[in-house]
Amino acid sequence: MATTHVPTANGTVMNGATSLVKSLEAAHVDVMFGLPGGAILPAYDPIFDSTIRHILVRHEQGAGHAATGYAQVTGRAGVCIATSGPGATNLVTPLMDAGMDSVPLVAITGQVPSAAIGTDAFQEADIRGITMPFTKHNFLVTKADDIPRAIAEAFHIATSGRPGPVLVDIAKDALQTQTTFNWPAKIELAGYNPKIVPDNQSISDAAALIAQSKKPVFYVGGGVIKANAHKELAQLVELLGAPVVTTLMARGAFPDSHPLHLGMPGMHGTVAAVTALQKADLLITLGARFDDRVTGKLSTFAVNAKVIHADIDPAEINKNKFADVPVIGDLRETITALIPALKSALAKNSQDLAPWNASMQKLKSTYPLGYTLPDDGSLSPQAVIERIGKISGTETIFTAGVGQHQMWASQFISYEHPRTWLNSGGAGTMGYGVPAAMGAKVGAPDSTVWAIDGDGCFQMTNQELVTCALNNIPIKVAIINNESLGMVRQWQTLFYEGRYSNTSLESKRVPNFPMLAEAMGCVGLSCERPEDLDATIEKAMSINDQPVVVDFRVHRDAMVWPMVAAGTSNDEIMIARATAPDWDSQEL
Amino acid sequence: MSIHTLEVLVENEPGVLARVSGLFARRAYNIDTLVVGPTSNPEVSKMVIQVNLEGHSLEQVIAQLDKLISVISIEELVEGAKKPVKDTQPDYQN
Ligand SMILES: Cc1ncc(C[n+]2csc(CCOP(=O)(O)OP(=O)(O)O)c2C)c(N)n1
Ligand SMILES: [Mg+2]
Repeated sequence: MATTHVPTANGTVMNGATSLVKSLEAAHVDVMFGLPGGAILPAYDPIFDSTIRHILVRHEQGAGHAATGYAQVTGRAGVCIATSGPGATNLVTPLMDAGMDSVPLVAITGQVPSAAIGTDAFQEADIRGITMPFTKHNFLVTKADDIPRAIAEAFHIATSGRPGPVLVDIAKDALQTQTTFNWPAKIELAGYNPKIVPDNQSISDAAALIAQSKKPVFYVGGGVIKANAHKELAQLVELLGAPVVTTLMARGAFPDSHPLHLGMPGMHGTVAAVTALQKADLLITLGARFDDRVTGKLSTFAVNAKVIHADIDPAEINKNKFADVPVIGDLRETITALIPALKSALAKNSQDLAPWNASMQKLKSTYPLGYTLPDDGSLSPQAVIERIGKISGTETIFTAGVGQHQMWASQFISYEHPRTWLNSGGAGTMGYGVPAAMGAKVGAPDSTVWAIDGDGCFQMTNQELVTCALNNIPIKVAIINNESLGMVRQWQTLFYEGRYSNTSLESKRVPNFPMLAEAMGCVGLSCERPEDLDATIEKAMSINDQPVVVDFRVHRDAMVWPMVAAGTSNDEIMIARATAPDWDSQEL
Repeated sequence: MSIHTLEVLVENEPGVLARVSGLFARRAYNIDTLVVGPTSNPEVSKMVIQVNLEGHSLEQVIAQLDKLISVISIEELVEGAKKPVKDTQPDYQN
């Protein structure tokens, strides 16, 4: 059960549309991203007078990802709003994306009048049915009286427990009917009561197991950021002194600069992080979900490790990997409880972790992330991303598209703080970068926000730069222009004998990105020579009253390494083409 | 073949059958039979579902069902007796 603040409008007669806007205000919404149309039009009339800032996007997909970017930097629910039919279906990708990455999102859609539902009416789409598989929950509201409760429940469900997207589909006649506004004083859902405080027994079992282990590793997932548990995590790590890996969704949950941090595990993880999981005798899993991109071939993943799995979602336990000690609860509560429990367990019994730490540190220093500069003197994509990270500093918020540039942005930028790295991890949604950066900048207007985007991704959602230009949202976009769908091309190089079927974008010829940027009201820059790199980034950093787009024209053949090929074992990690680490020289 | 019978109380809302059957379909759980009926509370319906596990764990099927907001409680029917597997504060995970 959750209690809410009852607004003064309670008991006032108004139409459903006004009731919707009053409900959003009561839910403390300060900004929403959307685009109107017939079925949602009644709501746009009271939106005109509301204190809520409505940002008019150019495509509803942009509204959804912007709401996600906003949610990821603020920790609050992001809100997007669209009309029925195609407006609603344009939200499908961001809703699925938010579901995969546990983002608190509330999507409001207009629906055709209730009497027309089921008649294939103009712009009718069963958006509740369409979004059932990947929303945390969804509603179809056909009566004005039901609007406040649905909105209150939607925010409660989206932001509590394991966060996720919730859709509220509202029939047009419900928006137009008179109703007495009635914001619920409390929310009680018989079938929803997430467990927040972990059981004492599970905490002491976890502590005992940690104290016994000789090769423990902290396997940290995005849940640590969602639970705002990074400070507690740092204390726990200091207490035990064991190595840490942070997944793609957890970059920033633990400082990259910390000596115990081995980097990112998984398909493009560091040798040390991947090997730490493989060779550990204990995985201390915190808000991670044993995704196939992390585990590689599951049957060969961490075969000698016991598993502690702490998560707020009971359905993650034993889903992919058996948990010897499951701990269900909010991660901040869990880690806070684990610290004293581990202290007393260690006082009774502790292992010497020095040999394990030494071998992991040796791997880390032997196989650091790196790249070779192109022979022809052209611009290296990794160098571009690394320099942007260095020059803009660790307070900067980064978003990425999906592809090689995303992996390099995860690898070659140093993340020191949570909520500074936003990307589409579970869904791998090309086109996430620009609109997510827009939402991030709205949520954190005083931070520098860089979208590290691919030339392919950029061409999916760049129209939101118009939204940015017109609404004073001065984001910076780095297009890592390798004139190709680079990640797919990399797979064609490695697994399809270099047969480059439909991966060449020719985006060094068309479009002209700087001109396109200028046409959208942004500053357009380009950079082709390594000697101009720093000056170009500094130029982009100096423009703060307009969005900036930089076309970094980079070498096309760079590849992302290390790599564990899909479906193979993490033991098969390659540090370059046909090059495995020299395992014989390592003592593990 | 491993068949289990679950008695699931759900919110009586339009679409709840789609939520449950859709979950089974997308996670490739086999439903042998599914019966829906009323309860004494008009806001609550009862589903009796026979699930053929075929490689899935019962624990995972129940956990995924429980994740649906519209699912209120789940009990396994074992030879005529009821074995609660879910209440509002689940503790089966330990
Ligand atoms: C919407 C969508 N379509 C297709 C894909 C498959 N895909 C993954 S990465 C990639 C290439 C992305 O190209 P680009 O944005 O130029 O990034 P690069 O890999 O070149 O850095 C593609 C097509 C995807 N992830 N998302
Ligand atoms: Mg590209």
